[in-house]
Amino acid sequence: MREIASMIVVLSVICGISGFALSYLKQTTQPIIESQVLRYVQGPTIRNVFPAATNNPIEERKEVALSTGLTTVFPFRVEGKLVGVALETQGKGYGGNIGVMVGFDVQRDVLLGIGITQMKETPGLGTNVAQPRFTGQFPGKGLEIALKSAGGTIDAVSGATISSTGTVLAVQQAATLYKELKPQISQLWP
Amino acid sequence: MASMWQEFSKGLWKEIPPFRVVLGLCPTLAVTKSAENGLGMGVAVIFVLVLSNVLISAVRGIIPKKVRIVCFIAISATLVVAVELLMQAFTYPLYQQLGIFVPLIVVNCIILGRAEAFAAKNPVHLALADGLGMGMGFTIALTLIGSIRELLGTGGIFGHNVMWNGFEPFGIMVEAPGAFLALGTVVALMNFYTAWAARRAGLEVPENASCQGGCSGCATGQR
Repeated sequence: MREIASMIVVLSVICGISGFALSYLKQTTQPIIESQVLRYVQGPTIRNVFPAATNNPIEERKEVALSTGLTTVFPFRVEGKLVGVALETQGKGYGGNIGVMVGFDVQRDVLLGIGITQMKETPGLGTNVAQPRFTGQFPGKGLEIALKSAGGTIDAVSGATISSTGTVLAVQQAATLYKELKPQISQLWP
Repeated sequence: MASMWQEFSKGLWKEIPPFRVVLGLCPTLAVTKSAENGLGMGVAVIFVLVLSNVLISAVRGIIPKKVRIVCFIAISATLVVAVELLMQAFTYPLYQQLGIFVPLIVVNCIILGRAEAFAAKNPVHLALADGLGMGMGFTIALTLIGSIRELLGTGGIFGHNVMWNGFEPFGIMVEAPGAFLALGTVVALMNFYTAWAARRAGLEVPENASCQGGCSGCATGQR
């Protein structure tokens, strides 16, 4: 009986201390990890969407309450003047969600460019939606985006209809959010 | 002090994992695509191994014998999660490279092996020396295998190109089979050297330096 009690006590104490130590560590490292993920996962994509930006879009990001919930919006400036914003949306792909970072030109209401942040598409087929041959079709297009098969202007990647549709769907969603965001933009980033 | 040095140095040559103590092969084979990855993995293992050795040695008196393995795993799992969080916070690119193999340190046989075989039976300062030695041996081994594979597979070490122009990289060395080739070659060379050194010193040559039993012993099932 005493042996069982000591086993229970020792194990509980060890696990308790472990739990407290880890939850403390998790809390202290959380903000640092978030900024690291932004820097290494989303950062390169954001920069590729609009390479001409002279500011740091990640540092100036803001959480904006839109109809779909809180959305992080990244502003692009050239020499202090706001030229565009980028936001990330998800589209349903072949192997899970496709994350797409979509940039908009705030003066002309057209697309600045898009970049894929995450995907689990078939290598060599679906992953081609991240290639410049596909993403390069978006810059300069208006907010009404559709695949050619749906009467639009975007050529789908051959052999990857689902991935292409998912990407375009994410861009359409981003365009809807952008229209909602548009009236607030000048107040958010003067 | 002398005994501490002895425990420390045995991990660097006499019992260097994974060449002599053939434990922890999963990370050895999986992450050593480049010297940098090997070094990063090794440093993570040093951190976990030293702290787990010290902690287990410190509480060895109060852990009931029947639940000791559970306690060891709880302690090393905590340390591994700590390493994972710290790695994500401060060296994110390395974390992206090592990926799933960081959480897998918890099932690395070296950690549990040293806890059970050494830390649970020895005082704290010896356990510290043992963990440091074994961890450094493991780091040196992983960096060595990583360097060999990176050098032959890409023509560079730590990302710097060192081979002559026109060197055609052996793509296989940075693929999975290259890990087996590199590990096997290093173990063979170490055994060859040990046998040569023993013969020169006039000692009896062990038939197999690693297992001391000899291949014939295993084959006939006499031992």
